[in-house]
Amino acid sequence: MTNRIFDKTIESLNQSLDLRLLQQNVTSSNIANADTPGYKAKAVEFEQEFREALGVTDELPMEGSHPDHIVPREGEPIEAEVYANPNGIESLDGNTVNRAEEMANLAENQILYNSSVEALKKKLGMLRYAITEGGGGR
Amino acid sequence: MDFFSSMRVSSTGLDAQMKRMNTISSNLANSDTTRTEGGGPYKRKDPIFAAVPDRESFGEILNNELDEQVQGVIVTDIAEDERPARLVYNPSHPDADVNGYVAYPNVNPAEEMANMISAQRAYEANITAMGTAKSMAQKALELSR
Repeated sequence: MTNRIFDKTIESLNQSLDLRLLQQNVTSSNIANADTPGYKAKAVEFEQEFREALGVTDELPMEGSHPDHIVPREGEPIEAEVYANPNGIESLDGNTVNRAEEMANLAENQILYNSSVEALKKKLGMLRYAITEGGGGR
Repeated sequence: MDFFSSMRVSSTGLDAQMKRMNTISSNLANSDTTRTEGGGPYKRKDPIFAAVPDRESFGEILNNELDEQVQGVIVTDIAEDERPARLVYNPSHPDADVNGYVAYPNVNPAEEMANMISAQRAYEANITAMGTAKSMAQKALELSR
């Protein structure tokens, strides 16, 4: 829903908040199940796809030189993928949760979530500045 | 999927660890109990954990598969440890067998202490996860300021 007021940046930040929330949910699920026999730690993957959507990868972007060409559309929702973490080391009861790793994920995800919120606040602040005609206008 | 999903999952973790703590206390308190309702000495108890998808209500069953991956934990059963009882020679004890041996519970206090530390750490980890979800939610509310 990109338009002139809510640009691509706001849209991306919005999505990043959603995806970070998913990461938070998955991490707390892993922590809650750290003692459940046979539970496999879950991981979320979206950063690569996010980079592609924003066009900040090292790969060359797809160009459409013909109307029938398929090119990635802007503003398309990013599909996150939740999968069993293949790097997990199985303990005797078949559980693959690494507590230290999950706690680190928790902290990292929180910081990145907060940074997205801060960036969004800045963007909205600028809109507000424009709406109030530079802050002083009535 | 929302912040409360994360908090609900963490609270199931807190609940499960609390139940585990209760069985540990029960094991320690009964480490010398020779009489039980079922007869024989007390047997060490162990909670069995199982993962369940987080669902608030029936309506949420239609949720997408991503939410299926967010799982809480429940205690499905309290299992009895079938390791043999500890035999102590004491012919004067009323519960002694014909050879004069008393069967004491198969509880090892050192093992229970180690379990207790593990339960406490797991509890703290769940508290931290819940606190993180809470502060993220509060951060999101700053957007409206």
